[in-house]
Amino acid sequence: MGAYSPFFVSLKSFPWQRTLQEWLTIDAPVLIYMAKTLIAALLALWIAMKLNMPDPRTAIFTVFIVMQPQSGLVFAKSYYRVLGTIAGVGISLVIIGMFSQDPLWFIAFFALWIGLTTAAGFKYRNFQFYGFVLAGYTLCIVALPVIETPLDVFDIAVSRFSEVIIGIMCATVVSDIIFPRRLLDSLITSEQERFYNILSTLSDPQSVFAAFDDANPAVSRFSNGVVGLNAVRINSSFESGSDRKGRQHYQHLNHEYMNLSTTFHSLKSIIAAIKNHEKTEVLSALERLYDPIASALKTLPETLLNPEDLESVIRKLLEVKNTIQERSESEHKSLKEGDDDFISAAYLIGRLVSELHHHCATYLSLLKHRLSGNTSFELSRSIRFSTHTDNVLVALAALRGSGVLLLTMLFWIWTAWPYATLSITMAVVIGLLLGTLPSPLDGVKDFFKGALIALILAAVYDFYLIPAYTSDFLTLALLLAPTLAFIGWMTTKPKLPVFTFGFVFMFMSQCALDPYYKIEPTKFMESSLAALIGILFGGLAYLLVNFWSCSLTQYRVAKVLRRQIVEVCVGPLNIERSALESTGRDLVQQFSTQGRLNMRSSRLVYEWLLSTLEIGRAILAIRRSLQRLYRQYHHSSIDTALESIKEYFESPSPLGRNELLSILEKSLQELHSFQLPSQKGQRKRIQRLIVELGLIRTVLLNSATFPVVTEDSCH
Amino acid sequence: MPLDITLFGIQMPTLLPIFVVSAVVQILLDRVMSDGGIYNHVWHPGLFRTAVFVCLFTAPCLLIYR
Repeated sequence: MGAYSPFFVSLKSFPWQRTLQEWLTIDAPVLIYMAKTLIAALLALWIAMKLNMPDPRTAIFTVFIVMQPQSGLVFAKSYYRVLGTIAGVGISLVIIGMFSQDPLWFIAFFALWIGLTTAAGFKYRNFQFYGFVLAGYTLCIVALPVIETPLDVFDIAVSRFSEVIIGIMCATVVSDIIFPRRLLDSLITSEQERFYNILSTLSDPQSVFAAFDDANPAVSRFSNGVVGLNAVRINSSFESGSDRKGRQHYQHLNHEYMNLSTTFHSLKSIIAAIKNHEKTEVLSALERLYDPIASALKTLPETLLNPEDLESVIRKLLEVKNTIQERSESEHKSLKEGDDDFISAAYLIGRLVSELHHHCATYLSLLKHRLSGNTSFELSRSIRFSTHTDNVLVALAALRGSGVLLLTMLFWIWTAWPYATLSITMAVVIGLLLGTLPSPLDGVKDFFKGALIALILAAVYDFYLIPAYTSDFLTLALLLAPTLAFIGWMTTKPKLPVFTFGFVFMFMSQCALDPYYKIEPTKFMESSLAALIGILFGGLAYLLVNFWSCSLTQYRVAKVLRRQIVEVCVGPLNIERSALESTGRDLVQQFSTQGRLNMRSSRLVYEWLLSTLEIGRAILAIRRSLQRLYRQYHHSSIDTALESIKEYFESPSPLGRNELLSILEKSLQELHSFQLPSQKGQRKRIQRLIVELGLIRTVLLNSATFPVVTEDSCH
Repeated sequence: MPLDITLFGIQMPTLLPIFVVSAVVQILLDRVMSDGGIYNHVWHPGLFRTAVFVCLFTAPCLLIYR
């Protein structure tokens, strides 16, 4: 019978369900996304043609630019694209109105605007960057074509703006309505993953007490994703499911995670130093101290946490907090040597528990908010994620943007070639868009390849397919569909973003998608040539204005981090710890994509960051307690200590380090010898001072890595 | 209402400023609705949001093309 034939048996044993599941999670989203892109693009083209727009290509091009798999990204990109277009159109009207008669002023103003937008695009994160890119690009596409007939600028400005709006509307509506994929969901999953990672890392004492180890991924992962997750949070705020309370929770979680990871790494580096000095007694005392944390987290279920489980964990952590305080005092009494190290490490363990407790409580609140809409506590404060961009990098970008514009303008004037305006546009786009990539030159090469392939395809469409087979919109849509779907597929491949961009750019600008078809081979050839020359000019700019190197990056990072410490020493006291942390992390993230660091030096830079954060935080804490201390308890030794820390970080030297260490030692001894005040609050503050000062000393003494360039790790 | 209007000396279709104004209204309304938790009770938030925008945008348009 058929049921017993080998074919049927193999058919039955075939893992249908798993295969289907895998197809649904991996392949289906790509197909859906391709279909979505296709629908949005054709819709935009149809509407633009129906409304008799002079250049329907802008609409369909906009769709491809803003289209992303997750709708939050589409909204964010569209929002900034609209803002950028408005700014670009406005400035085009101004520049044409004022300077169209005067080449010198026209070019100067143009170069200024491009330089400004490039610099601003560099300075701002996420898709704000994109808004500035568009502000520069729009000036090129609106002002340059009408330079001979300035009065046309109004028509062009209005129609370009309308076309962009059509493209954006189609992209956003299609991506939000047809099988929407929310960024918020991925934010929730990655937050969950991060939370479990923290718990599992901390539940294992080995991850704290073992040496730094690249082989242990959990430990090195304990720092990643702060900047990236923040970007996801910002972009997801455009989606419909995102509300203010949820956003605040994510902000707090990110902030608490940064604090936790700083504490964790400081603790680890101190423990490594204790190990190096072979103080086994201190080490075992610390291990005993850490035990309750590990056992509190050990009992966690592996699977999804529910609020009840988490509540019990939080209760346990609160108990642990108290036990640790008692134990650290009793352990301290039994120890003879290694005083300072123990105090610092014990203090860090205590801080780790209390920060973990906070983090769990916030996570619980978020969990409750998501499940039932009620939070367990109100987060009144919203935390800003501050960023820092190095001014040298920004100035370099501005110089490159203006420089390439002036160069292509010269090319235009000398050759008097009408199509040279296209070269200008292309060079400006390259300068604006690829500047933030890790290696812009490779990006330009990819862009060129994509553009070249698109040109060939566009020629086939222009001179064979479109004249031979199209008679109305339906046939045009059918002809375009394979290419558009292919572009959609390419955008899902993370390896080819710039190639795809070059392809889209060239295909959309050269394919004959005009309302009325005309065969113009000369125009096609000339404009293609102009665009390719523009790409070459853009690449040339990256080749010439490019003296950034690994050593320079190290030097700059060290300088900026040291300046942060100095600022914390003397600046206003209202700096939040969150600002300190997020600025530092953002800075290092930016330098590690821009600054051509190798593995070793990027690790070094990261360690600099952590020691800076720890020292900066300690200094802030010291200054805050000093402020609340009564005048009679003020000891001048603390002021001297702070002053010498500041001096050391202003101009570091090995000699200065020894001097600083001896000053810290002396002031610590003085503080210990003073009679503690009887009033409880004041006594606590002085004890806090001692602990924080000791921590700074331990960090300075033990870590070989604070932001001072000592050796060249670049080669 | 006329088909074209002149803003700052630039002649443009009336649809354009209507679009911008309704977009701003929509963004404000969206904030209020998402903070109020309305989207949790809607089957397809994206569709609902789009529908609200279509209503906002087309109601004034009816005045032009009546």
